[in-house]
Amino acid sequence: MNTVTITNLTKTFNNLTAINNLSLDIEKGKITGLIGADGAGKTTLIRLIIGLLLPDSGNVEVLGLNPFTQKPELVSKIGYMPQKFGLYEDLTVIENLKLYADLKNQPYDFDKMLEFTSLEPFQDRLAGALSGGMKQKLGLACTLLGTPEFLLLDEPSVGVDPISRRDLMKMVREMISPETTVLWSTAYLDEAHSFDTAVVLDKGKVIYNGKPHDLASTPQEFEEKVIELMGGYKNEPSKIAENYTYNKTFNFDPSPQPSPTRGEGENSSISLPNSPQKGKDVITCTVEADKLEKKYGNFYAVKNNSFCINRGEIFGLLGPNGAGKSTSFKMMCGLTKPTSGTARIMGIDILKNPAKARSNLGYMAQKFSLYGQLTVRQNLQFFAAAYGIGLLDRKKRVDEIIEVFDFQDVQNQKSEDLPLGFKQRLSLACALIHNPPILFLDEPTSGVDVIARREFWNHITSLAKKGVTILVTTHFMDEAEFCDRISLFYKGEAIAVGTPDELKRQAALLNPSPKSSPAREEEGLPTMEDTFITLIKESEE
Amino acid sequence: MKILMALIKKEFLQIIRDPSSIIIAFVLPLLSILIYMYGVNLDSVKVTLGIKNDDPNSEISTLVKSFGHSKYVNSIVFNNEKELTEAITRSKIKGAVIIPNDFSTKLSRGQSGDLLIITDGSEVNTANYVQSYSTSIANGWLNTSKFRRLANPVVVNPELRIWYNQDLNSHYFILPGSISVTMTLIGILLTALVVAREWERGTMEALLSTQVRKIDIVLGKYIPYFTLGMISMMFNVFLCVGVFKVPFRGNFLVLFSVSALFLFTLLGVGLTISSKLKNQFLASQVSLGIGFLPALLLSGLMFPINSMPKFFQILTMILPPRYFITFIESEFMAGGVNSIRLINAFFLTILGLFLFALVYKSTDMRLKN
Repeated sequence: MNTVTITNLTKTFNNLTAINNLSLDIEKGKITGLIGADGAGKTTLIRLIIGLLLPDSGNVEVLGLNPFTQKPELVSKIGYMPQKFGLYEDLTVIENLKLYADLKNQPYDFDKMLEFTSLEPFQDRLAGALSGGMKQKLGLACTLLGTPEFLLLDEPSVGVDPISRRDLMKMVREMISPETTVLWSTAYLDEAHSFDTAVVLDKGKVIYNGKPHDLASTPQEFEEKVIELMGGYKNEPSKIAENYTYNKTFNFDPSPQPSPTRGEGENSSISLPNSPQKGKDVITCTVEADKLEKKYGNFYAVKNNSFCINRGEIFGLLGPNGAGKSTSFKMMCGLTKPTSGTARIMGIDILKNPAKARSNLGYMAQKFSLYGQLTVRQNLQFFAAAYGIGLLDRKKRVDEIIEVFDFQDVQNQKSEDLPLGFKQRLSLACALIHNPPILFLDEPTSGVDVIARREFWNHITSLAKKGVTILVTTHFMDEAEFCDRISLFYKGEAIAVGTPDELKRQAALLNPSPKSSPAREEEGLPTMEDTFITLIKESEE
Repeated sequence: MKILMALIKKEFLQIIRDPSSIIIAFVLPLLSILIYMYGVNLDSVKVTLGIKNDDPNSEISTLVKSFGHSKYVNSIVFNNEKELTEAITRSKIKGAVIIPNDFSTKLSRGQSGDLLIITDGSEVNTANYVQSYSTSIANGWLNTSKFRRLANPVVVNPELRIWYNQDLNSHYFILPGSISVTMTLIGILLTALVVAREWERGTMEALLSTQVRKIDIVLGKYIPYFTLGMISMMFNVFLCVGVFKVPFRGNFLVLFSVSALFLFTLLGVGLTISSKLKNQFLASQVSLGIGFLPALLLSGLMFPINSMPKFFQILTMILPPRYFITFIESEFMAGGVNSIRLINAFFLTILGLFLFALVYKSTDMRLKN
């Protein structure tokens, strides 16, 4: 029995083929994962299946209905959660639930749903004021109302921390009946590996359709296989890092000393390539947080946060949504004024001399924050000017960046029309245009596909080797492994600081026998994701 | 029905939570009425004139005095031509009257005396005032002076009766007219953003994947903003009649019924813009251009439609404010004139229904890309 039968489906948008003569069956009662690079056609396919888009040619049959002519009948049987969740941010949790219950002609019976989402205490909170993870749960709850026969989730776990991601998965698995079909598009390959079926899309075509376990037995291998299917990833030396020239305005303490906050044990700091010169401004930490605190009323968003990041180090801030990572970030670059404490960038106090401190900083924001109406080149020109690059050097620098980042083909395109992976590269290009010694990256890879993420991290680690200090937040636990040190954030406080292995050992001690999973690493250490969850749970108790 | 009710309830909750709707509905009328009340004045104002008398005859000095006594004119006496010229150049005076030295001599001989009236052509309206005021003051003086035998005998004696607005107080028609401009802005601005907002925030995509019908979406937008718009209309009328004491001679029931039709057309304009553009920024720009400017310039409030070029006269026929301004000015000042009520209500209904159909047609039930 198939829930969906697609035959020879084609959909184009202004000469761009999104779905290319695609045929696919989706089995009833199974969870099917939809995987693919950005622009592979995942969202378009989902929208075609429920009749939100009309195809150029081809047929689709969903639950025995034609979505293009019988959409009104079809929608009463399905639950669809779009990428932006479809929540009304100015309505409260309970008002959103009631609205969707009315729209789906369902009774107001939310007890089980509220309990499941643990949203019960937040019923009267505006949906817009919820953390990312809670929004997702609420979106899913609204979608699940009326027990749909067919559930379609478009990247429900983008930008969500590992704990919320597990909750989300649990919620779906427990709330559906065995007959329910689920189509789940995702960028997380470990997630896709746990599904019944995996469908890999590439350029609007299905390139793999089968059991994930047939492809590989562990999520890691599965990721490698999928990358291979998608054309493979060649680990080339990063041109971006090669092009980077370290600005030698500041000199450093010649011997990289372990900072006060640095954990004992192994020191994973990368050896500094340029031997520091002795000089006047000798500083130990390129980035330093000094007892940063932010209070909103009686609520501590960030509490007594201190750390010291050495030159060329990648320092990761990890934590659930709403733990205070973004607030810390904003305080570090002087966008939010701390209640007490301060931060120093290259030894310059961000409170006393914000402009000078910031000039050493390249910042990549969580959301795409470039000018969508401007072309790639214009954005670069603007940021070059904004970072104070002189008129004469500007053109040269922009040309250079366009070449290094491979923007030649898209330089005259409006940046809002670019695929997500390009947008993210452009954001990085703008952040690097003035060769800053420090990079701040706030969830830089959120929503980006696995190959683009690998490329991105190749650039980041190479930049770090050239002496760039990097502060990064992420929800991808595999990315956390790239960090030299991690600060695990929870409820506004750093609950653990150390190298990834140190944190894993800490977790292994707390939780000697983590549930056996094939994802466990050779040494018997838990995965980063298990570590994250164990440490957070521990701090709860 | 249940779905429609849910959508209406949702929209009301959003209105209450979103301060901008409340600002548009209540602060905007207040500001606008204050501006039209104290900022705009179309009443004739006193003009300042310079007078230079070169005629030494004592009888002529009474002419100079009668300029000083006029309630339409402030006069300044100059003895030096250079100073007079400079005062005009600096716009200290809006015109000048120069009495030549042979003025009384000519009049005594029974000839016609020449009077030089200088006006400032860079302000055409004021120049006209200067000309007509000076002429009528001079003629008035002639009838009372010793040269009165020279004046033409008065054959026709006009008795002036000003209908509808006895005191010629321009606020009595500007304020009701301003309601029309304000309501245009409110009606369009309130709705121009609301559909675009749903597209931008992705809630429309979620709505479209439920059993919501097209008519639910359309009415779910019309009904809440109609209600809010009518409350705002009442507030406008209250400000005009209750606070600024503009006389109202018509029937409130008729006033609000026709206002309802007017609002119905405006919501149609706003919702069409919003459904077509699907972008809040663009929608707000376009609605100002389509809503505010024509309502101000082409509706007949500021410039009479009869004196517009033919093309614009025809263009005004599709502008809802044109019909409403005619109606509301008549309803306030003249009271119930059934022919005006009916014809304007008729055109508003036609426009409103047409726009409703357009909104319905523009409402997409699927995504475009």
